Amino acid sequence: MDFSFTQEQELLQKGVREFAEKVVAPRVQEMEETKNAPVDIYKAMGQNGFFAVDIPKKYGGLEMGALARVIILEEISRVSAAVGMATQVFYLGIAPFLEAASEEQKQKYLPSLAKGEKLATVAVTEASGGSDPTGIVTEAKKEGDNYILNGRKIFITNSHEADIITVVARTSQDPLQFSAFIVEKGMPGFKPGRKENKMGFHGCTTGELIFENCIVPVENLIGKEGDGLKIALKAISETGRCGMAGVALGILESCLEEAVKFANERILGGKPISVHQAIQARIADIRIALESSRLLTYRAAWLKEKGMRCDVEFAIAKYYSTEAAVQCAKKTVDIYGGYGVMMEFAAQRLYRDAQLLIPSAGTSDIQMIVIARDSLKKGKK
Amino acid sequence: MKPLHIIVCVKPVPDFRSPVEFDQKTKTVKRGNVATVINPLDKNALEAALQLKESFGGKVTALSMAPPFAESVLREVLAFGADEAFLLSDPAFAGSDTLATAYVLAQGVKKIRDFDLVITGAASTDGNTAQVGPQVAEHLGLPHASFVTQVKRHSEHSLELTLKTEEGTILAEIDLPALITVSREINEPRTLGLFGIAAAAAKPLHILGSSDLEVDPERVGEKGSPTRIADIREVSFARKSELHEGTPEAISLLVKKFREWGVI
Amino acid sequence: MDNQGLKASSDIWVFAEQKNKRLAGVVYELLAPGRRLSDKLGGSLASVLIGYDVSDLAEELLACGVDVVYKVDAPPLAHYNSWLYPRILEKLVKENPPNSLLIGATYAGMSLAPALAARLGVGCSAHCVNLDVDDHGNLLQYVPGFGGSLMAIIISPYSRPQIATIKQGVFTKTESKPGIKKGMIREVAFEFTGPIPVKVLEIKQEKHAGMPLEKAKVVVAGGAGVGSKEGWAKIEELAALMGGAVGATRPAVDEGWAKESQMIGQSGKTVRPELYIGVGISGDIQHTVGIQDAQKIVAINNNPKAPIFKMADYGIVGDYKEIVPLLIEAIAQEKN
Repeated sequence: MDFSFTQEQELLQKGVREFAEKVVAPRVQEMEETKNAPVDIYKAMGQNGFFAVDIPKKYGGLEMGALARVIILEEISRVSAAVGMATQVFYLGIAPFLEAASEEQKQKYLPSLAKGEKLATVAVTEASGGSDPTGIVTEAKKEGDNYILNGRKIFITNSHEADIITVVARTSQDPLQFSAFIVEKGMPGFKPGRKENKMGFHGCTTGELIFENCIVPVENLIGKEGDGLKIALKAISETGRCGMAGVALGILESCLEEAVKFANERILGGKPISVHQAIQARIADIRIALESSRLLTYRAAWLKEKGMRCDVEFAIAKYYSTEAAVQCAKKTVDIYGGYGVMMEFAAQRLYRDAQLLIPSAGTSDIQMIVIARDSLKKGKK
Repeated sequence: MKPLHIIVCVKPVPDFRSPVEFDQKTKTVKRGNVATVINPLDKNALEAALQLKESFGGKVTALSMAPPFAESVLREVLAFGADEAFLLSDPAFAGSDTLATAYVLAQGVKKIRDFDLVITGAASTDGNTAQVGPQVAEHLGLPHASFVTQVKRHSEHSLELTLKTEEGTILAEIDLPALITVSREINEPRTLGLFGIAAAAAKPLHILGSSDLEVDPERVGEKGSPTRIADIREVSFARKSELHEGTPEAISLLVKKFREWGVI
Repeated sequence: MDNQGLKASSDIWVFAEQKNKRLAGVVYELLAPGRRLSDKLGGSLASVLIGYDVSDLAEELLACGVDVVYKVDAPPLAHYNSWLYPRILEKLVKENPPNSLLIGATYAGMSLAPALAARLGVGCSAHCVNLDVDDHGNLLQYVPGFGGSLMAIIISPYSRPQIATIKQGVFTKTESKPGIKKGMIREVAFEFTGPIPVKVLEIKQEKHAGMPLEKAKVVVAGGAGVGSKEGWAKIEELAALMGGAVGATRPAVDEGWAKESQMIGQSGKTVRPELYIGVGISGDIQHTVGIQDAQKIVAINNNPKAPIFKMADYGIVGDYKEIVPLLIEAIAQEKN
């Protein structure tokens, strides 16, 4: 068991932290106010190789592995969970290409994704269901050399910024039969719809995707007809959950930093409030939550890098770290007292952002189902 | 124009954000627990070198005199885009003052050979003497220019420099090979990119000691350092202070004092 | 290290930096400590003047009480040249080695001093804030540093001459009195052949916008504790309201909130305002060495243990983000 970072990972952490502080941090206030996605930051991240991290070298990637991806998300989210969230979903968008795409599709799409020239996302959820796939009604009908897509996807992160979208649609009457298609921005019949107004993650777009007789060439089918759900679920349960845990780590780290800073600086009765046990208890809780979330997430990423099964481990990491982020953000706000609810302090942003970690890539309830199912199955043996 | 081989001298320094502790016994800075970073102005020097390489082609070689732990700092310099790095490391170099440090670096430059330009930060955040650059130049017999804020290629064999002065700037021409030290204004150093980090591991990083360099043992370390720290003293600028909590009363009292002192 | 360098006299030399036929301000500042040291050593005070058409400046130095002015006067020497000046000084020093050579820590001085020291193989200190000599003729060179409130005393016991650069603004200027002239001018011929690899093409004067820090009656300075560019705007607002200038510590300059020309302290400027207000500044000696002569010092910091409170006349413990806006309001009211 070796818990140390490699020299490369240490440099990566340093470089991303510097990028986050220099490029992302000065924009947080503006994002909070305008709620606009900072596309120029995404482009700069792409140029710096942020999206190449997990892509094989032969497609212009860096092959640094899942842990490198976690490090990036943690450092970016420490400064802005919104940019962290956008980044994590760009990774999610790349995942189907890595896991299921054909060699031709890989060669066509991965090099521009590695450079960040093209941004990606995945679209599964609809108004009538996401985690319950039977609610997916978007359909794809084969007509000659094309599929014709009709339907609407909602709650899609990076809906308006993504150039390449893996869309899950019905291709048969079987209620559990879906297929995955590569839809590109600009294809006839496809357009982004409205943007959601969220309580947090300001600066990360969540929106609607509209397919009205959208024409997708047959070569854009990923895998075979009927593989769609499997492809999307693998991406979400590994890359997606991993990513949400990574964003949670960033929020937890930020909670600890903000809480410690305020506790040391805030003087009441001539002493910093950090002398009080109640404050100390909260700080200890946040630290414990950060460290244990890290261990769970890093280990799951390590399993992924080893090519071992990791979906349940990522479910545990996702559940634990995102729930911890919600609780620790509240503790941070509590330490701030009245300042905790003031918009000029970061504490309230952490509090609002943390809650948004819960519904993405499966709610805590879904993670519990996954974890319980696996535990019960193992118990039977 | 012909490509340039540029040597950048880089100093690993304690991170200014961590508190610096001083050892009263040995009269040196305790470096044990302090993070080591690239001296900020040396990042500007590296950036200037990388930009010149991008314009004219050539090669950027990093050079540092430091204990072996500085290897990670040089790896970072390689990740920023330097092509090769040399770490001059030997217990005999410990305790070198600026003159001895400059001598060792100059011997390192001679070992690297075939260069057109040496660039270094004008000063370091720890020692802050601004002496090593000009002294390396003298040891090598090179012309130097300090506190450069702009560098352009003037001709095949010369640079056009803007130098800082108290009143403004000086425009100067310097023949190559030369040594320049740069100010913060010269550029905005790039951030570490992942492509660079991934490439760094495979780049050559050499660690050289006394025996690999032609150094006169009398001219390095404490032996080769004419300056000594004779004493360290606590200084007190203490005044009769009154300290208040940040209440509105304390603020009105302060404004009253301003009146009294005749500053408003 | 064995005895190195040259057999030195007991004289003190001051490098008389000149620009556009005027002596740099720091030259006047170095004459008094130079005289004090040479008296203590029993030697004389000399000055080295390098330039073109600078006879008036040589007279001026004599009028400031200098015993000997070594004058090197030639067209290529009109402006400081990092190739020629160290070579000329090296020759002068070798012909008649002084005990010590004092050089102002100007941009030119910071190029000249280390280059000369390297050519002579002697020790050189940087940014001294005080000078003295001991019984062995060692120049005691006081250099602030190493964080906290420590002052290092640097000596070069085995090498002569001793070279020190002295921070601008720490010593009081000597005024010239044409009546007191008793010294002499020694013209030294400029003999240099060979290529000169550094050429000055153009000198550009820059008009500094805003109030110069050194002349402001009120200086409001910010440090790392200010925390952000938005916070920095509050510092600027307070300074503007009080008709003052804005200063900064090195970390604040490193963060990009302030310009390098606003830096106060060891590697920045020395200020002597009627009022100095330090906001979010803990009080490391690197900064405080530049404010110790302020008539009144006010400090605002959230850490009651910040060293700056010890040197402040008036301190407020608390978050500047609350205090500065209140202070701005109170001053505005008081002014009305």
